[in-house]
Amino acid sequence: MITFKLNGTEVEVEEGTTILEAAKEHGVEIPTLCYHPAFEPYQVCRVCLVEVIKDGQSKLVPSCGYKVEEGTEVLTHSELVLKRRRTIVELILAEAPNSERVLAIAKDLGIEKSRFESKREKECILCGLCVNACNDIIKVGAIGFAKRGTQREITTPYGEFSDVCSTCGACASLCPTGVIKVEEISDSEIKPILSEFDANLSQRPCIYVPFPQAVPNRPVIDRENCMYFKTGECRICEIVCQPEAIKYDQDEEITEEEVGAVIVATGYDLYPIERMKEYGGGEYTDVIDGLQFERLLSASGPTQGEVRRPSDGRIPKRVAFFACVGSRDPEHHCSYCSKICCMYMVKHALLYKERVPDGEPVIFSIDVRTSGKGYEEFYTRAKEEAGIIYIRGKPSRIIKEGDGYEVWAINTVTGKQIRVRCDMVVLSTAIIPTVGAPELAREMRIPVDEHGFLSEVHPKLRPVESLVRGFFLAGCSQAPKDIPDTVAQASAAASKVLEMFARGEILAEPHIVWVDEDKCATCKVCIDACPYEARELDEEKKAVVVSDALCQGCGCCVAACPTGATRQKNLDDEQLSRMVEAIFEQEKEHSGSD
Amino acid sequence: MNKKKNIADQINPEIRDALLEMGADGIYRCYQCGKCAGTCPWFPVGTYDFPIFRLPLEAALGMIASSEDKDELAAEIDKIYRCVGCEACVDQCPHGINIPSIFRAGRRLLVDFGSYPEILKSTVRKIHDVGNPVGEPREKRSDWARDLNVPVFEPGMEFLYFSCCISSYDPRVKSVARAVAGILQKAGISFGILQSEESCCGEAIRRIGSETVYEEVAKANTSAFERNSVAKVLVNSPHCYTSFKNDYPELGVKFDVLHISEHLSDLIESGAIKPDKEFAKKVVYHDPCALGRQNDIYEAPRNVLRSIPGLELLEVENFNHGLSVCCGAGSGGLWMEWDKDERIAGVRVTQLIDTGADVIAVACPYCLQMLEETAKSMGHDIPVMDIAEILAESCL
Repeated sequence: MITFKLNGTEVEVEEGTTILEAAKEHGVEIPTLCYHPAFEPYQVCRVCLVEVIKDGQSKLVPSCGYKVEEGTEVLTHSELVLKRRRTIVELILAEAPNSERVLAIAKDLGIEKSRFESKREKECILCGLCVNACNDIIKVGAIGFAKRGTQREITTPYGEFSDVCSTCGACASLCPTGVIKVEEISDSEIKPILSEFDANLSQRPCIYVPFPQAVPNRPVIDRENCMYFKTGECRICEIVCQPEAIKYDQDEEITEEEVGAVIVATGYDLYPIERMKEYGGGEYTDVIDGLQFERLLSASGPTQGEVRRPSDGRIPKRVAFFACVGSRDPEHHCSYCSKICCMYMVKHALLYKERVPDGEPVIFSIDVRTSGKGYEEFYTRAKEEAGIIYIRGKPSRIIKEGDGYEVWAINTVTGKQIRVRCDMVVLSTAIIPTVGAPELAREMRIPVDEHGFLSEVHPKLRPVESLVRGFFLAGCSQAPKDIPDTVAQASAAASKVLEMFARGEILAEPHIVWVDEDKCATCKVCIDACPYEARELDEEKKAVVVSDALCQGCGCCVAACPTGATRQKNLDDEQLSRMVEAIFEQEKEHSGSD
Repeated sequence: MNKKKNIADQINPEIRDALLEMGADGIYRCYQCGKCAGTCPWFPVGTYDFPIFRLPLEAALGMIASSEDKDELAAEIDKIYRCVGCEACVDQCPHGINIPSIFRAGRRLLVDFGSYPEILKSTVRKIHDVGNPVGEPREKRSDWARDLNVPVFEPGMEFLYFSCCISSYDPRVKSVARAVAGILQKAGISFGILQSEESCCGEAIRRIGSETVYEEVAKANTSAFERNSVAKVLVNSPHCYTSFKNDYPELGVKFDVLHISEHLSDLIESGAIKPDKEFAKKVVYHDPCALGRQNDIYEAPRNVLRSIPGLELLEVENFNHGLSVCCGAGSGGLWMEWDKDERIAGVRVTQLIDTGADVIAVACPYCLQMLEETAKSMGHDIPVMDIAEILAESCL
């Protein structure tokens, strides 16, 4: 260990530590620009200058590359340091007057404006982060320094598009001035990695926390896009992670748990707006869906809660909201009502009006369905107090006009054409089952309806149970639902589970299957036929037996059994024919009385 | 004493039942969303409110042409004959209601009572009298082919080329039929024409509401086809195409029908036709409703244009393929007279010209006539050409 004085206080650090690292360790912030923990100190920007006093002699050194020496004194914010640092930062600011990073450093030093003028065209401060990243981390070497003096610049060989660039974007992501652009380095197609949580409205890195409330709240690596998984290079996250938590060889684990009940809550997805060709869905950047607008309104969203257009970041002065997009359209899209849109549109319009007081929300709807406690009052308030305009009609087209959009519709109340100029359109697209939910349901043997929503046993009397015993439904897995309904159904599902567990035994349907063991030929056809894995071969009994707890009484095995050994309780041939006879007798009595 | 008329509407089940019998489709499914009306080509015209979304409900209440007031009825007849049958509304309707079928049912009622526009009466009469809407004698139907050595169809030939009344008689549009014949001859295709045995396909008059005359000509055609053992019909009009493909099967006849764009596209792909002369122009393609929206043929005509060296193919942004705007000539629109600033074709011509094209390409004789005349009347000298004419310039 080495002892030295840091701004007057004696501190201890490990040998080989740089002044910058040592300062950081002891809570002293030194501004840096060209420094990055993943690279060897480049020591060109000189922003991290500090004063080192050794044997009574003072000198200025870049703290990022200078190792602490025993018995020295280090001053990170002395008059001399600040004076020099100011001049250096002013010079850099002259080169990059718009760089947020440089401006922040300048502000901390009390600099408002640079006294100098730049002779360069580009806002490049030649910090070399991009070049170092490309050479040392990605190991591609697509860019480098060229020319000298004021002509010095970062470019590709001969200034032509690079063949070796992998468009990973490491250079651009590290650039403190934003001057490095991948599209100027490579002419290959650049696919930005979009944030799923922000509904594709922002970009995210390849290592990221999926969403702020994620459990566990740890970053994950997107293996499809991570350069290490693509090329074996980079590992920058591993280098910077001090607790050494990055493990590239970690794999998904499948944990098997034995459970007595399952509540299926797969949620929902939105109908893709790309299918709405008449609205320019997927083509017009400012035509977005409700979930995207929700992210724009969110304080943790891509715009920190400011309503800004995805295309140019402008605050939209008129926003059109369309109801029933893809919903209630049996001919082309989904036949059902998505249930939540009418109400969230009221909320969206109100929040938009709150964020943009001079903004004008216009809602196009056909039937406003406010069937919930307090909903109608909320809707009325939105119109009356916030002056939100409702136009009755399903718009026909959205046409891009200049930098805005024109909505073509009919006001079906007056029967007149209406064209509404707006800056942004929010489509309340239909709720659809989560992608993959129907496949999951198949695994669980839970039937789905024509739309892919999970089927309940009875729509009125048993709405939270699936047709498979022990599997319960909650939320939009079963049908579109708002939050109160979802909470109610989820609570009911949980109660059903408790009820089942509390009873200690399982009630079976009166028509489950039994086996006449003498007749069973152990052909095992029934095992294949059973959708619920309720049949298995009993070696001792030399017969295929039925688990009373698993059998749902569907009768598939009865139909499949070639020897007639499998029988259904209370649905014997004899009983069935009696039932048929009884029906005919009733029918006879009926027609006789007519 | 002049007693004021009670203005309350009354439900008229007789008219409703008559409309249903005459093929009004989906009148009970409508939920009045209005999506149809903003898709209607009258919308961008902007001067005429055409609340077509009310039609299904009006039909369900039996309130179509039900007024006893002369002026009201006249306004309603005007409204009913505005529909050009482009089916843009059908494509967008959330319930797939065929609104033109309701218009057609209403028109059949009006035709039965003789209360329809005079100009259309004359068209129907000409088709009834001489088998074509232009009123020229049957014998002149094949005049376009006189110097081309186009043979009369004989059993055993591969195709009957059915050249549409407009491209058979109209002095301008004739050149489409001549181009088609020239290309087919050069490609060595076995085909013939039926000359005066052909009658108008009847597509337009059926949509005008004259079911009787439609049946007359349709039966004349099908018996001519049967007499000559026609198995495959090649047409250059999408209206003949849709009529033969979608309407004639109701009469119990069986023959294949191919639009010329499909056949030309195949011939180019197989190498039987080689467009080698440059046609160095910017060409915008207009999707005819009867070809695109109604029969899903979007790519074949574009393929033909793309195969021509030097040709740069343009699209009307926002309004192409299924979202194309009608030229206004369908369902009798070709013969109707509208005010100069109240024409669907005017909207379409402007859209087409705004693309910066040198030439407007179509694949339909109605569109050709409608767009060309409208462009001229608007003072534009942009040529309007059929894809067959452009191809002929490149390969003949």
